[in-house]
Amino acid sequence: MAEETFLSDEFVRELGAVGEVDILVGIPTYNNRLTVERVVQAVQIGLVKYFPRERTVVINPDAGSRDGTPEIVKSASVQDFRSVLAANPLRTTHTLTTRVHPTRGEGGALRLILAAADLLRAKACTVISPESASITPEWIEAILRPIYRERYDFLAPVYQRHKFDALLVKNILSPLIHSTYGANLEEPAGTEFGFSGALACDLLAQDVWREDFMRYGWGVWMTTAALAGSYRSCQSFLGPKVHSGKQAEQNLAGAIQQVVGALFYSLEAHQNFWMSRTEPVALPLFGFKSELDLGPVRVNRKRLFEMFRTGVEELSTILSQILSAPVLQQIREVALGQENTCHFSDELWAKTIYEFAVSYHRAVMNRDHLLQALTPIYRGRVCSYLLENHGARVAELHKRLEVLHQQFERLKLDFIQNWSAKT
Amino acid sequence: MLEAAVGAQHAVSFKRTTMAQDTFLRGADPLWYKDAILYEVHVRTFKDSNADGIGDFRGLVEKLDYVADLGVNTLWLLPFYPSPLKDDGYDISDYTNVHPSYGTMDDFKLFLDESHRRGMRVLTELVLNHTSDQHPWFQEARKSPDNPWRDWYVWSDTPERYQEARIIFTDTEQSNWAWDPVSKSYYWHRFFSHQPDLNYDNPAVREEIWKVMKFWLDAGVDAFRLDAVPYLVEREGTNCENLPETHEVLRTLRRRLDESYPGRFFLAEANQWPSDVRAYFGQGDECHVAFHFPLMPRMFMAVRLEDRKPVIEILEKTPQIPENCQWATFLRNHDELTLEMVTDEERDYLYDEYARDKTMRLNVGIRRRLAPLMDDDRRRVELMNGLLLSLPGSPVLYYGDEIGMGDNVYLGDRKGVRTPMQWTGGWNAGFSNADPEMLCLPLISNPIYGFQAVNVESQKRSAHSLLSWMKQILRVRKSTRVFSRGTLEFLTPTNHRVLAYLRELGEERVLVVNNLSSSAQAVELDLSRFRGRIPIEMFGGNLFPRINDRLYLLTLGPYQFYWFKLRRF
Repeated sequence: MAEETFLSDEFVRELGAVGEVDILVGIPTYNNRLTVERVVQAVQIGLVKYFPRERTVVINPDAGSRDGTPEIVKSASVQDFRSVLAANPLRTTHTLTTRVHPTRGEGGALRLILAAADLLRAKACTVISPESASITPEWIEAILRPIYRERYDFLAPVYQRHKFDALLVKNILSPLIHSTYGANLEEPAGTEFGFSGALACDLLAQDVWREDFMRYGWGVWMTTAALAGSYRSCQSFLGPKVHSGKQAEQNLAGAIQQVVGALFYSLEAHQNFWMSRTEPVALPLFGFKSELDLGPVRVNRKRLFEMFRTGVEELSTILSQILSAPVLQQIREVALGQENTCHFSDELWAKTIYEFAVSYHRAVMNRDHLLQALTPIYRGRVCSYLLENHGARVAELHKRLEVLHQQFERLKLDFIQNWSAKT
Repeated sequence: MLEAAVGAQHAVSFKRTTMAQDTFLRGADPLWYKDAILYEVHVRTFKDSNADGIGDFRGLVEKLDYVADLGVNTLWLLPFYPSPLKDDGYDISDYTNVHPSYGTMDDFKLFLDESHRRGMRVLTELVLNHTSDQHPWFQEARKSPDNPWRDWYVWSDTPERYQEARIIFTDTEQSNWAWDPVSKSYYWHRFFSHQPDLNYDNPAVREEIWKVMKFWLDAGVDAFRLDAVPYLVEREGTNCENLPETHEVLRTLRRRLDESYPGRFFLAEANQWPSDVRAYFGQGDECHVAFHFPLMPRMFMAVRLEDRKPVIEILEKTPQIPENCQWATFLRNHDELTLEMVTDEERDYLYDEYARDKTMRLNVGIRRRLAPLMDDDRRRVELMNGLLLSLPGSPVLYYGDEIGMGDNVYLGDRKGVRTPMQWTGGWNAGFSNADPEMLCLPLISNPIYGFQAVNVESQKRSAHSLLSWMKQILRVRKSTRVFSRGTLEFLTPTNHRVLAYLRELGEERVLVVNNLSSSAQAVELDLSRFRGRIPIEMFGGNLFPRINDRLYLLTLGPYQFYWFKLRRF
């Protein structure tokens, strides 16, 4: 009987024809015809401009696009580099497109990219989102130079965002990763990452590919795996992050289930690492970080608060299995207050997240249901956050987020004790 | 006084293991010898540090970086003990000292420590079977039949005993008995007449040999090659080889080794058929490693015949060995390429193909180095090394073969394959600063293999030299344990000029394909049970087409070989 394989014969043949590479860029796609051409061209120009002598390949795993995305990728070549650069490429450029199973989501695409990196013995790799409307060729240099030239193994992006963008990252992922893994990452779930060939081989060998969170939570998994493996890690400033309309449509509950699920899974997998860690992890930042305020993000705070209140009420029984009585009581009090005075304190929030993590670890209920139950509470926290930071400038917000991180750090010992306690 | 004279050998004793070795051995895999890659070195001809024309331990220390950089992890030293040197050191007159030409005990200790510091283990010779006739034991034994040491050797009033034992050194010896004019009796010798055999029926001999072992083990030696081990005991009515009593001697020594010196090993030199060598492993309680003598000439035969049959036949006849044991494989060594373990027809063929000039023949073998045997054909040299390093066993490389050194069959005995190491194209090939006339052996100096053409210094400067290639293949070999510990399964494609086999260990699969022929070949292999796997060529790392249900077609240039990892994605 044939062994299971996720690389098609044709793709393997194409990889064999490419041979060993120095740089690999992965662009996973699914119906991205509006943005992908520009992304591919920016990547090509970046490779020619910053890595003119290196052997490079672009790998495009496509999850069954029906809008012609793969064809656009194949044909999206810069016709005359001299119009944008001073030179033409020295080497043959390779762009390989292959199909991944749509049910595997982005995780399936990542697995294929990692396999290609392994087979082609790529030294430096990156994954670029096909939706990154703000990409420039300089992103290629910013992501790959630390990996290829400075020999880092993992690079997380730093974007210039609106102050109310990426609240899931700012309120859950970053503070929890900081307190447990010791790394103060701005974007642990970014859509662009850099990694070395060695890290790619290590990640590929891990047995996570059937986990549901790998469909869209792979960025968090990758980040925590790199930190727990003590790989040399860094961050790099890429510039503004402009959302395409597609990203804005993502379902919040689904997003929480994926990325927070990935983080809680990682906490279990890496508990030996973070429970014994005593020193923070230094993460150099490459690039010059600018702090301009970007255009506004529209949020309906009233609606958010309503959903928070309703959710806390309707999920009361479930929440009582997840949270301790005092924490649940405090949350109820917040939910019963007024929308325009909503205050979900940092301390309460940190306790909430830690208790959710412990309950996940103890599997007090179906884990998907547990994660879904976090959604309305998160809305309450967002409401409070928006209210309290309405007039704050970006720099002030950074300081307030530091305070949040400190709160997580302060409560960490209790968290570890609860995590370790037998039920 | 006798005790003082004879026991003085143990006057110098060593504090048991050095700190370097303690660190080295701590946590070491008890089966480390399975992963050993050995480098056989003659101290005498490797590097001379004091310009007396003779290699020494300090010179060897100077070159340890070279050896470590080559990629080997175990050094095998030819005998370096006090000796009249009538058999290049295998005639030992003092078991627990260092020949003054090679240095002092302190020099030896320095060499041991420096080897261990570089992650290399050291295997030394234990010439169990016989001593020099100049050894104090023999000098005493011959004095009279009543001498307390008399029974340390095997004596007879007539040369008629043990008639069924064969003569090993047929070129120089007519009998296994030699007349001693001092004691007016015959003494037994399986090798040269100046090498009387010790009497292992005497418990005192066995005890003394154990003390000799302890001496070197306490110094930090990691392993012993047990020279000429099949001949320890004699019995009337037998061929005096491989007797049960010989195995009992070895089992006792092994038991004592395991009790007091775990992590060290015995390598048996038993030039016998595989079924007879099997006995030297016992039940995993005798020797850890044994040379696979019969395989070696068959590799040479297969390449000349351009036919895989000799290699497959001998390995299919090779019995299973205990899990904690290992074969040692080799292409060449300090002795003649022995043709004892082939048929008469095979021997004639090998003589005709490899030693047409009878000067090249010695005893029952051919006294040539690898490169001249391969007519200096780089591709054939690579193929032979590829076979050595991909077939099961711990491989032994002979010093100088990694740069393709030549030989000199006119030097007599086996000296022609033991000439000084060729380090540079300059003064004495960089071996010694002495006057060239002082050298212990003359250098090879002809235009093809001479030191001006073949030397380490020039090969280090080229990424495409044989030396660079040897380093590369050793790196690839060491990148996986499948070669040292994996199983072996032959494939049988219709093209008999191609020798193909699978090595498997756990989930790892390596496919080795060798073209034994001087012309390009195509071969179709049935790999259908590995359907879906991707062959990745191990030297370049490139992907080959994925395996499917059809026969897998490969083409190979003359003497070319492939090593493929069969990876699953």
